[in-house]
Amino acid sequence: MRTSNVSYLVKKGLSSVWKNFIMSFASFSILLVSLLQVSCTVLFMMNVNIVMGNIENTNEITIYVEKNATEAQVEHISAVLHSNGNLSNIKYYSKEEALKNFKEDMAEYAGLFEYIEENPMPETFLARVTDLSKIQATVTAVSGIDGVEQVKAPYDFANALVNIRNRFTVIIVAMLLTLIVVSVVIISNTIRTSVFARRSEITIMKYVGATNGFIKLPFFVEGCFVGIVAGVAAWGLTWFIYDSIFSLFTDNLTLWEMFGFFNLLPFGNVCWIVLGACCLAGALLGATGTMISMGKYLKV
Amino acid sequence: MVEMKNVNVHYASGVDALIDINLRINDGEFVFIVGESGAGKSTLMKLMMRELVPSSGRVFVNGYSLSKLKGNKIAKFRRSIGVVFQEFRLIQDYTVYENVAFVLRIADKSNRAIRQRVPYVLNLVELAHKAKCKTRELSGGEQQRVAIARALANDPGLLIVDEPTGNLDPKRSYELVGLLKEINRCGTTVVMITHEHDLVRYFGGRIINIQKGEITFDETIGGNDEDE
Repeated sequence: MRTSNVSYLVKKGLSSVWKNFIMSFASFSILLVSLLQVSCTVLFMMNVNIVMGNIENTNEITIYVEKNATEAQVEHISAVLHSNGNLSNIKYYSKEEALKNFKEDMAEYAGLFEYIEENPMPETFLARVTDLSKIQATVTAVSGIDGVEQVKAPYDFANALVNIRNRFTVIIVAMLLTLIVVSVVIISNTIRTSVFARRSEITIMKYVGATNGFIKLPFFVEGCFVGIVAGVAAWGLTWFIYDSIFSLFTDNLTLWEMFGFFNLLPFGNVCWIVLGACCLAGALLGATGTMISMGKYLKV
Repeated sequence: MVEMKNVNVHYASGVDALIDINLRINDGEFVFIVGESGAGKSTLMKLMMRELVPSSGRVFVNGYSLSKLKGNKIAKFRRSIGVVFQEFRLIQDYTVYENVAFVLRIADKSNRAIRQRVPYVLNLVELAHKAKCKTRELSGGEQQRVAIARALANDPGLLIVDEPTGNLDPKRSYELVGLLKEINRCGTTVVMITHEHDLVRYFGGRIINIQKGEITFDETIGGNDEDE
């Protein structure tokens, strides 16, 4: 097709947005609500993941070395711990350092320590678990190292955290899928109403020899354009809503103390990604809805 | 050229719309297809423009075997003919110019070719002065002429006209058929479907009469317009 005719069809599609303003506005509104819900849900999920990640980072296991372990055994334990991919921030405490820390932790009972003649504390390693879902396997591996007396791990906390994350992911994914399916159904029905109102125009085009592609192009442009405008509007609204909630945390000292260490995601960090995703999703939903709705009227 | 061989059209409702139709219309002919309402005239037209495929038999138009056409080939075939519908079927939101230019765009003509061709065909139907009017602002007769201009835009070898005088007063009806005769004299084959026998007798030419789905009469008669 000639460029002049393609540009004519694109212009026709864009002008149809204004000519069929009520229908365009209905499609725009549905798309806006759908995209807003999806973008807010995705951002919420991203924040939950960050929070979960931060909680995981504070999670540590304690490895107690046997009392009679040799220096070589301690070095071996250290080497094995460092080579374990699921452990990070590995710290070693000698018997003296362990006792000192213990005394600091139990400062209110300082008097009791006067009666201790021999240092009862073993040499200790502290290590951070990277992936909580693999904590059981990691602890088993560490327990098997020669010279390790005991490994203490917060299983209950880890299991609870992993369960929460898994269930949350399932709920969010189910919500997103439902939202997308409902959106496509509502959008294609709204657009179908618009296409129905113009069915005679489509039929006439078919009778005078227009190909399906020629007829679809302006409708496709119209659907994409409405979708992109809805995407930009959804992005702006998401930004506004997200920033309002974000500033609620940062402006309120108590809330910030509660959640501040979780490092919530600032919108500026994902601003352009959200814009691109909203516009792309809007254009795809708009165009898909239009194409689904048109099929019936092209069989002339 | 239009050719139908042993064509039958049987609708799902049980109606036999056309029964064993054998027909040949040569290039350059002017043919009236007449018959009462429900006789099968419109079904014949639908066959000629590939809106319908026969239940049995074969239809050839402008070298295309219509039963075999699918997808974009149907669109290509339709661009090779011109059709004027009884109810005009113009895009009401478009101007007169846009309605005519539209079929040239479908045929992928350049802007320059469109700028040259549209005023020419609008002049032919004496509507050049209304080029910028929306079609919904025009009278029935004017809309009919826009439909003719649109049908002629691609310079088709065959022009099919369905009940063109149904919405016109007698004077306008005679003028319109006169215009179609003029177009025919320039070499375009014209097939006009009508139930107005007075018009047919006045203009004369080849007349095909259909009754209850069958051709009952196919003769050429002289008309009064040739005497004038």
